[in-house]
Amino acid sequence: MIRRLLHIEQIKLLNYNPFRITLGIYFLAFSLGLLIYPAIDKEIPVISLSDLFRFPDVWLFLTWVTEPYNLLLALIIIMITTKEFNNHTFKTQLVFGLSRTELLLQKLMLIVVLSLFATLLLGATSLTLGLIYSYKLTFNIALENTWILGRYFVSSFAYMSMGLLVALLIKNTALSLLTFLAMRTFVDPVLFLILRKYEVKWYLPMRTTTQLTPVPNLIEIFEKKMNSAESINESALDIIPEGLPDWLNIFMVLLYTSLAIWASYLLMQRRRFT
Amino acid sequence: MKEILSTQGLSKSYKSVKAIQNLNLQISEGQAYGILGPNGSGKTTTLSIVTGIIRQDSGSFRWFGEPPEAGQRRSIGSLIEIPHFYPYLNLEKNLRIICDIKGMDYRDIHRVLEMAKLHERRKSRFSTLSLGMKQRLGMAAALLGDPRVLVLDEPTNGLDPEGIAEVREVVLEQVKQGKTLILASHILSEVEKICNYVAILKKGELLANGPVKELLTEDEIVELSCDNNTVLREKLENSDLVKEVKTENGVLVLTLNEKITPSEINAFAFDQKLVIHHLLSRKRSLESQFLELVKEE
Repeated sequence: MIRRLLHIEQIKLLNYNPFRITLGIYFLAFSLGLLIYPAIDKEIPVISLSDLFRFPDVWLFLTWVTEPYNLLLALIIIMITTKEFNNHTFKTQLVFGLSRTELLLQKLMLIVVLSLFATLLLGATSLTLGLIYSYKLTFNIALENTWILGRYFVSSFAYMSMGLLVALLIKNTALSLLTFLAMRTFVDPVLFLILRKYEVKWYLPMRTTTQLTPVPNLIEIFEKKMNSAESINESALDIIPEGLPDWLNIFMVLLYTSLAIWASYLLMQRRRFT
Repeated sequence: MKEILSTQGLSKSYKSVKAIQNLNLQISEGQAYGILGPNGSGKTTTLSIVTGIIRQDSGSFRWFGEPPEAGQRRSIGSLIEIPHFYPYLNLEKNLRIICDIKGMDYRDIHRVLEMAKLHERRKSRFSTLSLGMKQRLGMAAALLGDPRVLVLDEPTNGLDPEGIAEVREVVLEQVKQGKTLILASHILSEVEKICNYVAILKKGELLANGPVKELLTEDEIVELSCDNNTVLREKLENSDLVKEVKTENGVLVLTLNEKITPSEINAFAFDQKLVIHHLLSRKRSLESQFLELVKEE
């Protein structure tokens, strides 16, 4: 059954131009951006961006840089879900024998597949850049910090689940896209500012998700470089300590994601698919 | 006969509009069951509920004697209102999705596309089809996998006369093969030609149901007038010649019982010493019967 559901999504998506284009942009953003970074800083003395592409720092840095790309994946989910409403194809699938739960399952499985895809892409890119730019290569150093990939997966999954909920709630493509982007770029940051004096600001849904892949301590790495060239690879890059404790932050993201899926489930059960 | 679909007190409202009220239907295996009613009588709502698109407010229904679940719909071929498919996918890929949902392989696709005379267009995008072709693709999708039950909601909608005849032929063929058919239509002649059992809906209520032959017979109507209509009316009402007597514009309008002819009425009047000076026989068309059934009270 699960394979059949995925196959249905595959037929729908691979022939859908907006999906191909968005995925193309995603690829481009990934590869081009990452190829450009190392190239642009040849001129600046002492500080070199290529320092950031060495093991084990490359894992943290790239995860942080590419985190916004997950928004594109969420936009894909919003587009294809709202399209099912516009084309009345949720109805068609119901009539021919899918259950409402299976309709949701279909989209959730797609989210898992896209999250895996994004994580693998990040892993492959980081590995490649790391191999190119590292001076010293040992197995331990290379694989240190790879745990961040797990968080990247959770982050992708969380963004897309929230996108799915917005799409099921609003049904209209343009409005859903706007709402989702506004939540990320406007509502959440403004609330964060309003609540800046209170600890609760760290509990905002989008904030916890961005905190999954936090800003690496860039200054530290350059300082280390200036003080002694040898010590660079000896200690891993730190993350600027900020916000909730790690475990609590991850727990909050998982909680929000579960809530989004649960709400999506309820919406799916109650919607009138005409 | 095995039960295919039954509804128990099904009701559904859209805000203040009562779409269907306390609907009880029983459909058995092999029946060609017509649901007849004017626009807005609740036909589509009923079929949308039993195919899982919308939820009823109250009441329940059973497919094959079991409580409803999605898997049952895989053995039912449905066409509800306008068929909706992925506009950017070609016909073949659209039908592949249906095959995947039903859990069957793709071999049947060519058969149903040929049946719907769309085989040459199988590589065209759905969005490029005309309305009639879309309707035919909907029929093709319903026939995928040779289901034993067909649920069709106005299947000839938007078709040209040739298309209507073709769809009717296909549906009749299915009925002949012993498939169960549930057909919603506002076209009386369609139900009459295809179905052997009919339920008539009006404003969401079941007005009448029964075999087509009983419900939609062509009654003979006789208009007559004599010197003393009141007495004749009384006599006729006490006889077993007529089903119904009405007075319209000073003449009596009789609905004759089966096998009674106007001359028998004349003879009857003559026996009662009443001389008829106006007698007009007219067959009541099904259309007017249907209109009468559903007209405003």
